[in-house]
Amino acid sequence: MRTSRIVAVGAVGVAAALALSACSGGSGGSSGGSTTLKLVVADYGTGPSNASATYWKGIADAFHKTNPDISVKITSIPWTGFDQQVQTMVQNKQYPDITEGDYFSNYAQDGLLYSADEVLTNPGNLLSTFKAQGTYNGKQYGMPFTTSSRTLFYNKKLFREAGITAPPTTWADVKADAAKIKAQGATGFGLPLGPEEAQAESLLWMLGNGGGYQTNGKYTIDSAANVETFRFLTGLVDAGLTEPNPGTVNRTDLWQKFAQDQVGMVNGSPALIPIIQSAGKLGTSDWASVPIPGKTGALDTTLGVCDNVAAFKPNGHQAQIKKFLDFAYQDTYQLQFDKEYDLLPATTSAVQALASDPVFGPFLTALPKSVQYPSDTAWANTKTKIQQTIGTAVTQDPKSVLGQLQHVATSGQ
Amino acid sequence: MKSLRQTAAPVLWVGPAVALIAVVVLWPVVVMLESSIQHIGGEGFVAGYNGVANYLKLFAEPAFLGVLGRTVLWTVGVVAVTMLLSLGLAQLFDQAFPLRRVARWALILPWACSVMMTALIFRWMLDPHSGAINVVLHDLGLLDRFDSPEASWLGNPATAFVWMMVVAVFVSLPFSTYALLAGLQSIPGDIYEAAALDGANGWRRYATITLPLLRPAILVATLINVINVFNSFPIIWEMTGGGPGYATSTTTTFMVALKQGDVGESAAMSVINFALVIVIVLIYLRVTRWKEQVD
Repeated sequence: MRTSRIVAVGAVGVAAALALSACSGGSGGSSGGSTTLKLVVADYGTGPSNASATYWKGIADAFHKTNPDISVKITSIPWTGFDQQVQTMVQNKQYPDITEGDYFSNYAQDGLLYSADEVLTNPGNLLSTFKAQGTYNGKQYGMPFTTSSRTLFYNKKLFREAGITAPPTTWADVKADAAKIKAQGATGFGLPLGPEEAQAESLLWMLGNGGGYQTNGKYTIDSAANVETFRFLTGLVDAGLTEPNPGTVNRTDLWQKFAQDQVGMVNGSPALIPIIQSAGKLGTSDWASVPIPGKTGALDTTLGVCDNVAAFKPNGHQAQIKKFLDFAYQDTYQLQFDKEYDLLPATTSAVQALASDPVFGPFLTALPKSVQYPSDTAWANTKTKIQQTIGTAVTQDPKSVLGQLQHVATSGQ
Repeated sequence: MKSLRQTAAPVLWVGPAVALIAVVVLWPVVVMLESSIQHIGGEGFVAGYNGVANYLKLFAEPAFLGVLGRTVLWTVGVVAVTMLLSLGLAQLFDQAFPLRRVARWALILPWACSVMMTALIFRWMLDPHSGAINVVLHDLGLLDRFDSPEASWLGNPATAFVWMMVVAVFVSLPFSTYALLAGLQSIPGDIYEAAALDGANGWRRYATITLPLLRPAILVATLINVINVFNSFPIIWEMTGGGPGYATSTTTTFMVALKQGDVGESAAMSVINFALVIVIVLIYLRVTRWKEQVD
């Protein structure tokens, strides 16, 4: 009787101690003046062998050697969930110190970010082409980290088997070629309008008809040109020339299918090249990349995408962030990242170092003329709605879907 | 003095539990109600009170009515099918047959496995090009071409919703079956003997003896199922993410999709969700007259 009571009291005591230690264990340790920077990065890799966390760990370890009082804690998030998870961190006031991935000017508007000149010694080294998309109220907050330009990748092997001699340059060519490839049993054109990056694919098609998300700084998502573009896409989908139900298919899955020799044409970036190589089904002469087809001819402007670094203020680590960013932006690390993921650099010095490269050179020349996403504060919410709903523009009336998106964009301003 | 200690002692024992419920259950409800009348943007900053504007914005969403209708269909459909199948399965597991123990353990598996994992596996089984289900259908001659619209089960909102309901039934069966099995085993055997002596055949015995005596177990299992299925998130989120647009969303996934842009509107959806589940449970309890005894 007595021993069981002692055991009971002891058990309650142990449970309470465990609960207390669990509560207090979460707050990171900074002992004796050392700082921990919280770095949140997007994962560009296709598996554990080329996960971005490895690249960043290399930088973090080298940085820690030269700056023993600053350690860097890395959180790597796959692209499909990046926006949401960073958003959740911000909503819960668990601010990171540095993010690498998407940047939203809303954070700058709310005073959450350091400007580029506060955390970089040489902000002028960043590519000026992408300065505008990271600027809010005249100051640059989004610092480009890596860039890419989009082109059309086509499967030369399937084209040969279907009897097509030249790559497509107009929309009519795309339709005709896709029909011939469909007859071979493969998917004609891979159209990813799923939530992962529907905004990119839509913009590439809109550019082909002289449209886009904005005209002269004002949102024109439901312009006549854009509606016509989506009517064309609806025609492609209804004729079975794309994969079924494009609104539910993501770019990443479609790129894998292209690498598996199942898709005739897909819009891609240099990052598709290592996926093709690791799948091993297409040799170097079995695929090629050409400018994206427009309604009347190939486009000479393409979508220039850049992923940004943003530095967050609330934790107050400005000096440490500056040291880390100066370290991480060195040319060696830029080129290492670009070689690993087949993307393009974001600093002028790195671009000059890479200009003579036979694979990357052509993509680099297209960068200065590239079109980018809008950069105003309404874009974040609009982009979310585009990702979630624009896939329905090929199954329902495009005018109403694009009209709703236009409403979201203009009411957010 | 003695009476003070007597009245104070129960409070001491019940106090921590009440405090826990207040903090974990009641306080979030209060915060939820408060958030739904505030203006909160995507970054989580509260920018003052917004009155009923969040609710009006929510009701004006074109997808709203469809989401509500789908939620009712989801809950009613999944729970009804689950309970029907569970009645049969419980009856089966009540019989003695070889390897019954192994079969009972196997039934636990869908419940033990993480629902998200189950949903992911089903999603890949339904892949239009190489999914296991499509391969089997192709081999059976029921599917003529891979990557065709017929093979894209999760791309078409109607077939996707049916498949997600199948998965929901799959993960709900173990709990319901075991709840009903426990109920079955509590029915004394001599009632059946008495009925057999009176000349009642199988179906009559089932309808007049088994089902009424199972009523408490059916009630509990259905209630818990309704609450779980109504709040079910991983299945829909992993298999279609809410579908093209919001065509396969229920209120829970719609709420999460809204949260990315407007936290206030998402909180309004959350309040409606909460009210809806309370109404469903109250209606259910009323219809089944749960307080009445079974005699």
